[in-house]
Amino acid sequence: MTQADDRLKDLFASDEPPARDPAFSMAVMESVMRRRFQEDVALLSAASLIGGGALWAVWPSLQPALVALSQGFAPALGALGLAACAAMILGGRARSALGLES
Amino acid sequence: MSPASLDEALVAAAQGGSTEAFSRLVERHQQALRAFLRRACGDWAMADDLAQETFLAAWSRIGRLKAGASVRAWLCGIGYNKHLSALRSAGRERARGARYEEDRALPWGATPEDRLTLETAMADLPAEQRACVALCLAADFSHSEAAEALDMPLGTVKSHVSRGRARLLQALGVCDDAG
Repeated sequence: MTQADDRLKDLFASDEPPARDPAFSMAVMESVMRRRFQEDVALLSAASLIGGGALWAVWPSLQPALVALSQGFAPALGALGLAACAAMILGGRARSALGLES
Repeated sequence: MSPASLDEALVAAAQGGSTEAFSRLVERHQQALRAFLRRACGDWAMADDLAQETFLAAWSRIGRLKAGASVRAWLCGIGYNKHLSALRSAGRERARGARYEEDRALPWGATPEDRLTLETAMADLPAEQRACVALCLAADFSHSEAAEALDMPLGTVKSHVSRGRARLLQALGVCDDAG
């Protein structure tokens, strides 16, 4: 490198930004997070729209099947719900009664 | 860990969705990118805006960055394209305002007049030549790195640097001891 090149390099160095600039980095990351949020919202909106549209399209054929299923499974679901409630209320006592607790 | 392998690890993490890794890449490369854009477009505020846009674009495109590629050159390439788009959309060379901070520290032997002369001479260079000079003479890029970053043929970069250097030295009244 020649003296002339050194001189140019010195002059260029006078307008060098700081090596660390938290304000700039923070501004960039804010923009990145905002962009990410917008992309997430757009993705979720699109998925909701597509899901809603698909459900609307198949609903006429789905409804009878759901009604039949719910009638068939209603007693089993009710019993499962009651068992879950009982387990929650009894809590640790059920586990110790069954010898599952050390 | 060497800077290149640290970059590689950070890029891999950012490609996996880590904003923390990307934030570290921003910290590591903001100085080089902003310095390049300041020299390429002359307007500091515009350069910082372009640098922000560049990082935002880099976040969206980080998945396309090949393993082992120079992050600095990649960012400068994106920044250069942003700069060219800004020039085109403005339809004119942007106003080179008098944004000279009087209290900035100058290197030994450099006067404010020298800096002003350099900035004016840089402003008079064509955009492509300015970008090549900013990378190769100010930022220590090799000619081939600059060619890759700016997407120009190697010979074109060499010729831009040589011509730009001669014009800057002439404007500064510096004797070219290389030739």
